Amino acid sequence: MEFTVSKAELVRELSLSQGVVEKKTTIPILSNVLMEANGDRITLTATDLELGIRCSCPARVKKEGAGTVPARKLLDYVRLLPEGDIQMKFLENHWASITSGRSRTRIAGMSRESYPELPPTPPVVAQVPVKTLASMIARTGFAISMEESRFTLSGALLLLRPEGLTMVATDGHRLAYVQAPPAESGTVDQPFRALIPKKAMGELTKLADDAGEGAVALFSGDDNHLFFQVGHRLLLTRKLAGNFPDYERVLPKDHTHVATLDKAEIRSAIERVAQFADERSRAIRVQFVSGEVRIFSSSVEMGESEESVPAEYTGPDLEIGFNAQYLLDFLRVISQDRVAFQLKDQKSAGELRPAGDSVTDEYRYVVMPMRI
Amino acid sequence: MDAFFVSVEELFDSTLKGKPVVVGGRPDARGVVSAASYAARKFGVHSAMPLRTAAKLCPQAIFLDGHPERYREYSERVYEVLHRFSPLVEMASIDEAYLDMTGTARLHGPPLEAAHRLHARMKADTQLNCSIGIASSRLVAKICSDQAKPNGVLWVIPGCEAAFLAPLDVRKVPGVGKVTDERLHALGIRKVGDLARLEEDFLERRFGKWGLALAGKSRGLDAGGWFDTGIGEDTGPKSISHEHTFSEDTAVVAQLEATLARLCEKVGRRLREHGLRARTVQLKLRYRDFTTITRAETLERPTDLDIELFEEARALFRRNWKAGAQVRLLGVHASGWSQEAAQMDLIDDGRHQRWQQATAAADKLRDRYGESAVSLAASLRGQFRERIHENPVGLPGKSEKKP
Repeated sequence: MEFTVSKAELVRELSLSQGVVEKKTTIPILSNVLMEANGDRITLTATDLELGIRCSCPARVKKEGAGTVPARKLLDYVRLLPEGDIQMKFLENHWASITSGRSRTRIAGMSRESYPELPPTPPVVAQVPVKTLASMIARTGFAISMEESRFTLSGALLLLRPEGLTMVATDGHRLAYVQAPPAESGTVDQPFRALIPKKAMGELTKLADDAGEGAVALFSGDDNHLFFQVGHRLLLTRKLAGNFPDYERVLPKDHTHVATLDKAEIRSAIERVAQFADERSRAIRVQFVSGEVRIFSSSVEMGESEESVPAEYTGPDLEIGFNAQYLLDFLRVISQDRVAFQLKDQKSAGELRPAGDSVTDEYRYVVMPMRI
Repeated sequence: MDAFFVSVEELFDSTLKGKPVVVGGRPDARGVVSAASYAARKFGVHSAMPLRTAAKLCPQAIFLDGHPERYREYSERVYEVLHRFSPLVEMASIDEAYLDMTGTARLHGPPLEAAHRLHARMKADTQLNCSIGIASSRLVAKICSDQAKPNGVLWVIPGCEAAFLAPLDVRKVPGVGKVTDERLHALGIRKVGDLARLEEDFLERRFGKWGLALAGKSRGLDAGGWFDTGIGEDTGPKSISHEHTFSEDTAVVAQLEATLARLCEKVGRRLREHGLRARTVQLKLRYRDFTTITRAETLERPTDLDIELFEEARALFRRNWKAGAQVRLLGVHASGWSQEAAQMDLIDDGRHQRWQQATAAADKLRDRYGESAVSLAASLRGQFRERIHENPVGLPGKSEKKP
């Protein structure tokens, strides 16, 4: 195999594979990127057997073929080369020679024979704007549990339905739910329900960031995998196994009281007060009184802090404990200026929603209180 | 308190008076003596001795199972009396307490006078005899009250502590047990005075921190471990545990697991009484040949619920028990208190909450009708008679705490 490729293009595509390539793997070849030259393109493939990515870029192919080289080392080296063309030639011993200007390097590779095959892509079931996907991931991803326990999964539920895309994530203490309006949901040929692993969501976001305005992901799935084709890039992931909790039961049907606040004000107030919350529990007390929301924290070692924020609130006086981090996660991710805090009592889940006219989709964030 | 359990038994059955009485169980039962009357002690019977040994030494003794609930009730009465003499009372065990009398001279008079008034008040209110040691440290007071028994009052005048301690056997020092005693003997140290003559550095090299504590103790100072805390200062329990020795070794899974359930209920009950939630559950398992293993597990969520303790303890048991091996003793130990505000669950099958409600209801019934009024079905076959012990001489003790 022998080809010439632009340094900038190679670096861009290689960068996308870095998140997928295993850093510490027991299977050495998984640290490598598979390079294939065909026609007028080269294709780069990386996988950790859970997640796979395949991208390509134009190249002048002198001799078609395939080979694998260490992904990290290749990127680290190529990135340092001056802008311009790079020639790559794979040798008999699976090594690859890289020539650019006055630089000559031979990088130790491995035979492509032992590189795992990615599963074939099944027929497309939906076309989804990547911007919508990325925005849904940003608004649910933080609620995914770090550890897997009885009631949680390290991933999010993706629902493709004619009425729109829905993504739900939970760690058992809080739950984030986004339903995109049909106008932003693309076209869904057939309803689909799948659990996407957290790592795949991160990679999907990277693909979206790098895709152009209006880019669409062609979505498909087989029994074990999910496929997202964005332009000439394909991300595929193993489906997360397990049952997603019955989120509809968790979404509050009614709320007795609502406090509407300025997002920036409440966010900064919580950020400040939380400095004096117990470091482990991150507990703050949130007091809802007429026209005002007050926040308190205290820690035996560090001290205490309180702050108040004006609010539209007419309900009875309520004091509820919350994990400050949970509230901030939501307040940091919404774009709207106002936020509605819906509550019932000290023991029931509270719900946060963006408020105001600019709200176009349904974004609900349900947080269970802390016993204080 | 003097021969506390036996004295309480005598209040309910005056025919026991003056006779050799042993509390702890039947003479042929496995287990140890909880308490012995002075008449029984003359035959060499003492607490913590196997019942069968006691039966050999004193076959004519009257062996009683005992009434833990009576002892606790009387212990509370004792506390009431003590509390009238000083606000700073520390119940070191069910039948032992320390009073900080600092600043009470105007109210109660000089030390000896105050002690005699306390002694008389105790007899009048509880009909029980006690012995009082007065000293400038808890350590000396404890040793001194031991010397004052039975029914006496002894005051070690400040400055005379070392002189008082010097001729005593090192075993009289709280915290010096069989092991330390043997190690000290190996150095030729038998009396507290011998210990006091040694350099602190030497003891520290030999025994580490404990050596420093020993040096302090030998001079009559409160030193080491619990003695470093103030009187009545509530440091709270560091762990809560219960264990049970089977009257006959068993390898019957149903019985072992039932006992485990019972132990967890006892641990859970005390956790709730103290308002604590444990992060760590430990299983103790002793086989017939006395090999003992302990295995611990950290819980995903701290708990004070019997059922959750039991599930963890049972899982530990199933993983670690050599199936079919005869078990002599089982123990459940909870530790690692979680004080932090508890994050409630959004997604739960409601089980935790339902158990919480059920357990709270069960506790109310237990408060009213006794500990065995309600129990987990799993523990029904694991009922065993509660054993309670007077504080053995030589231990500072910290088993029962009063609010």
